[in-house]
Amino acid sequence: MNWALAAPELVLAVSALGILLNGVLRTRDSTILCTVLAVAVCVITAVLVIDTPTATAFGGLFVSDAFSRYSKLLILAGTVLCVVLSLDYNSRQRISRFEFPVLMLLSAVGMMVMSSANNLMTLYMGLELQSLAVYVLAAFARDDIRSAEAGLKYFVLSALASGLLLYGISLAYGFSGSMDFSRIAQAVMDPAGVSAGLTVGIAFIIAGLAFKLSAVPFHMWTPDVYEGAPTSVTAFMSTAPKVAPFVVLLRVMFGPFGHVTAQWQPIIVLISIASMLLGSFAAIAQTNIKRLMAYSSIGHMGYALVGLAAGTQTGVRGVLVYLLTYVVMSAGSFSCIVAMRRRGLAVDKIADLSGLARNDLTLATLLAIFMFSMAGVPPLAGFFGKLLVFQAAVDAGMWTLAIIGVLTSVVSCFYYLRVIKVMFFDASVAPFDVRSRSLSVVALATGAFTLIFFVYPAPFLGAANQAARALFG
Amino acid sequence: MIVAVAFYVFSAILLGSAAMVVTSRNPVHSVLFLILAFFNAAALFLIAGAEFLAMILVIVYVGAVAVLFLFVVMMLDVDFTALREGFQRYAPVGATVGVVLFFELASVLLGWRMSGDVSAAVLTRLPSHVQNTRAIGQVLYTDYFLLFQLSGLILLVAMIGAIVLTHRGRHTSKRQNITRQQERRVDETLQVVTVRSGAGIRELGLYRPIPVGREPVLAAPATTEVSTIVAQDQ
Amino acid sequence: MRDFFTNNVLGILLLTIAETLAILVPVLIGMAYSTFFERKALAAFQLRRGPNVVGPFGLWQPFADAVKVFTKETIVPAGASRSLFLLAPMLTFVLACLAWAVIPVNDNWAAANINVGILYLFAISSLGVYGIIIAGWASNSKYAFLGAMRSAAQMVSYEVSIGFVLVTVMLCVGSLNLNDVVRAQSHHWFAFTLLFPMFVVFLISMLAETNRAPFDLPEGESELVAGFFVEYSAMSFALFFLGEYTNMIMMSALGSVLFLGGWQAPFGLTFIPGVFWLAAKICVLMFFFFWVRATFPRFRYDQLMRLGWKVFLPLSLLWLVLTAGYLELTGTLPMEAL
Repeated sequence: MNWALAAPELVLAVSALGILLNGVLRTRDSTILCTVLAVAVCVITAVLVIDTPTATAFGGLFVSDAFSRYSKLLILAGTVLCVVLSLDYNSRQRISRFEFPVLMLLSAVGMMVMSSANNLMTLYMGLELQSLAVYVLAAFARDDIRSAEAGLKYFVLSALASGLLLYGISLAYGFSGSMDFSRIAQAVMDPAGVSAGLTVGIAFIIAGLAFKLSAVPFHMWTPDVYEGAPTSVTAFMSTAPKVAPFVVLLRVMFGPFGHVTAQWQPIIVLISIASMLLGSFAAIAQTNIKRLMAYSSIGHMGYALVGLAAGTQTGVRGVLVYLLTYVVMSAGSFSCIVAMRRRGLAVDKIADLSGLARNDLTLATLLAIFMFSMAGVPPLAGFFGKLLVFQAAVDAGMWTLAIIGVLTSVVSCFYYLRVIKVMFFDASVAPFDVRSRSLSVVALATGAFTLIFFVYPAPFLGAANQAARALFG
Repeated sequence: MIVAVAFYVFSAILLGSAAMVVTSRNPVHSVLFLILAFFNAAALFLIAGAEFLAMILVIVYVGAVAVLFLFVVMMLDVDFTALREGFQRYAPVGATVGVVLFFELASVLLGWRMSGDVSAAVLTRLPSHVQNTRAIGQVLYTDYFLLFQLSGLILLVAMIGAIVLTHRGRHTSKRQNITRQQERRVDETLQVVTVRSGAGIRELGLYRPIPVGREPVLAAPATTEVSTIVAQDQ
Repeated sequence: MRDFFTNNVLGILLLTIAETLAILVPVLIGMAYSTFFERKALAAFQLRRGPNVVGPFGLWQPFADAVKVFTKETIVPAGASRSLFLLAPMLTFVLACLAWAVIPVNDNWAAANINVGILYLFAISSLGVYGIIIAGWASNSKYAFLGAMRSAAQMVSYEVSIGFVLVTVMLCVGSLNLNDVVRAQSHHWFAFTLLFPMFVVFLISMLAETNRAPFDLPEGESELVAGFFVEYSAMSFALFFLGEYTNMIMMSALGSVLFLGGWQAPFGLTFIPGVFWLAAKICVLMFFFFWVRATFPRFRYDQLMRLGWKVFLPLSLLWLVLTAGYLELTGTLPMEAL
C-alpha cells in the first residue's frame, strides 16, 4: 500500500481539517490565522511533493511521477497566490470567513489527487472534490444575488458535465474491461480493435473534462460565473482548477488512450479551434474586465489544447510551460483586478481603469505587463508558452491549427491592447482605494516572473521536459 | 420459476413508477413514485443476490435522501405549470440534443450482442460461502481505501458548503445554556420580597417580568410579613 | 411431507403464511394488551385506578376499544389527498409488522433468518417516517403538517445515532445476522459490557424513533392538537395507534436482541424456553417506555435536536472508535478468513 507516495495529499488534507477545527473552535474571527496557516501548509506540501519518489501506490490507483510532481507544484503555487490575494478582497467585501482558505486547500487536495490519478475512479473522486469546493466558493458571497446565481449555475451545469464524464467512464470501462490506466492501455493496444462504444466513451470523457476547462462548446458557464463569483474566487477558478483538469486530460489521452490517438485527435483539434476563435472574437465586445478574463481564459485553453492535439512529447512540454505561464499571468492580472475598488466598492468595468497610469503607475504598468504577456508579446512569459505549442503543432504537421492559433492571437491582441490604451491614454477618473500590501506582493512577484522569465527559462523548460517524458516513458 | 415471476413483477413496477416520476402532475406524488422505484430496485438487487446493496439502497436513498426530497418538495410548493412554460420554446433545442445522443447510443447498441447466459459473463465470482457484505468490506477497506477516504472528504466539503452558505449565527432566538442552568443558584434567581398587606406589587414598583439587568425597586419598608417570591427574568 | 414444504411452490407459500401468522398473532395480541398495561401503569404512577370497568380488572378494555373504532365512520377531510390519506396509516402499520420477519424468537427461529438482519431492521425502521410525513401532508391541515415536519426531522436525526449503535454491535459480533448477534451474547449481554453507553444511547434514541414521550413532539397535543394524525378517525386512526405500539414492541425486541441477549436465558435458567425470555425482556423495555412517559416532561424542539446532533452523534461516534480500538488492541475483533 505505499502510503508515503501520497504524503503530500495526506498532509494537506489533514492540515486542512486541523485548520478547519481551529477555525470552528476559536470564538474570535480567525480568518487571518487560518489563511497564514493555509499558506504555510501549501509550502510544506510543496516541499513534500518535490521529495516523493516515482512509483505507484494503493494497488495502482495512485501514481507519482515527474509529470504529477510538476502539476502538483503548479497547483500549489496557484493556490498559494489565490489564498494570499483573496485575504484583503474578502475582508473588504465582508465575506471573509475561515472556511475560505480551508475550502481552497480541500480543492487543492482534489486537484493533486487528479494529477496523480492512475485509475478512472481516482480521477473522478479528485475531480468531484475539486469541483464541489469551487461551487461553494463561487457562491461564497451569499448575500450577493449574482454570486449565488454564479454558484448555482456552475453547480448545475458542472453536475451535468460530471454526469457526462461518468457516463464516458462507464463506457470506457465496459468496452475495455478495466478502470486502471495501464490495463486500459493494454486492452486497446490495437487501434483496429477499438469499438464504437469506446470512442463514444472517450468523447464523453473529453466533454466532461472540457467543461471544467471551459473549452468551447462547453464554455457557456464561464463568463457568467466569472462575473458573478467574488473576484477572489474568480482568480482561483482561472488558475489551479484549470491546471488540474488539463493535466488529467493529458494523462488520460496519452496514458490509457495513447494507442488510439486517431479516435480523440479530431475532437481535440475541433475543440481547440473553436475555443481559440470564440475566445478571441467574443471578448472584443466585453466591457466588464471579469467577463473579458473569462473569454480570455477560453482562448488560452484553446491555445494550450493545440499542444495536446499535436499528440507529441514536445506538444505536452509546450502545454506544461503554457499552463505555468498562464497560472502566473492569471494570478497577476487578478491581483490587479482585485485592487480595483473605489470608495470601498469593488468595480469591474474596463472603463473604470480609465487613466489609471496617472493615478497609480505601478498598478497600470503591472497590468500592462500581464496583458502584453497574455497577448503573447515577446519576450514576456506568455510568448514562450504559445511559441512552444505552435512549434509542436508545426512539427506534427498541423499547419491549420498553428495558423489559426497565430491569427486568433493577433485578434486577441486587440482587446488586450485596448485595456492598456484605456489605462494609459484615456482621461483619468477618481483614483482607486489604497491597495493592501498582500496584493502588491502577489502582483509584483508574478509581474517579475512574467517579465524576466525569458532571461533564465531553462529550469522551467527542463522540468516541463522531464514531466512530458515521464508521461511518454 | 418464482424468481422469474418476481423479477418481472418488480421490473415492471420499477419501470412503471419511474415513468410516473416524470409524468406526475403533483411533485409530491413524483417523489413518492421515486421511492417506489427505489424499493423495486432494491428488490431486484435482492434477486441478484446482492443483499447488502439492496439494504443500503433502502437505508440511504429511501430512508434518508428521499425524506429530504419530500421535505423540500412539500415545503417549497413548487409551481410546476410555471416551470413548464418554457417547454415549447426550448423543445427544439432539447430535441436536437436528444436525437444526437440517441443516435450515438444507437450506434453503441448496434455493436452489442445479446449474451445467452448472463451469469457466464461474470468476471470475478465470489466463493459461495462468502457473504457479499463481507466481500465488499474486504475490498473497500483495502484495495479501494484511498477512494473511500476521498469520498469522505467530498462529503465533508459538502457539509462545510451547506454550513457556509446557509448558517447565520442569529442571536434572536433564545438558546439553552445547560452549564449556566446547572450553575445557577437559588439566590441568583429567586428573590424573597416582603409585601405590604393589601398592596399590589405594582404599587411596590415590582413588575413581572423584571427587565433584565435592573434590580427590583423596593418601595417603603413593609409593615406586614407577607412573602412573595418573584422570579427574576432569565 | 417435509419435501412438500421445501420444494413445492404451494408448500412454501403455506409454510410462509403459517410462520407469519405464528409471529404476528402474538405480536398483535401483545400490542393490544400493551395499550391496556400502559393505561394501568400510567394510572398507577398517577395514583389512579385506570381502566377497570370492562371485564375483570378491565381486561376486556382493548376489545371494547377495538369494537368502538371499528364501528365508527372514517372521515376523509375535504381537500385531503384521498388515496395518500388512506395509504399513510396502512403504511405505518404494515412497516411495523414487516420488521418482525427477522427477529429471532429462539435459537434459529425466525421467519427469515437472513444474512443482513440488522440492516433490514434499520432499513424498515428508517421507513417509518413515511407514514407520518404522508399523513401530515395528505391531511391538508397545518397542525398535521407541522407534526409531520417535526417528525421527519426528528426521526432522521436519531436514526444517525441508532446507525452508529448498530455498527458498534456489528463490530463486536462480526456478523449482520441477528441470530449471530444473540449467540455472541451467550456469556455477557452487551448491555453490561463496554457497550453500556451505547445501550443508553439506544434506549433514548428508541424513544425518539417511535415518537414517544418525552420526544412526542410530532403529536404534541398541547400545541399541535394531535399532530400528524389530527384529521384521522375510526379505523384509520386505530391503524396509526396499532402501528405505534407495534413499533414500540419491535424496538423493544431489537433492544433485547442487540443488548440484552435476546432469547438467551439469564443465570443459567435454560430449562425455560428462549421465547419466554425474549418476551420477558420485551416487557421490561416496554415498561421503560411507560415509565419514561410518566416521568419526563416533553422536550423542547431545540433541546431534542441538540441532544441528537450535539450529544448522541459525537458520543456514539467516539464510542464506535473506542470500541474498535479496544477490540483491535485486545485481539478480540471477530474475524473470519475470507
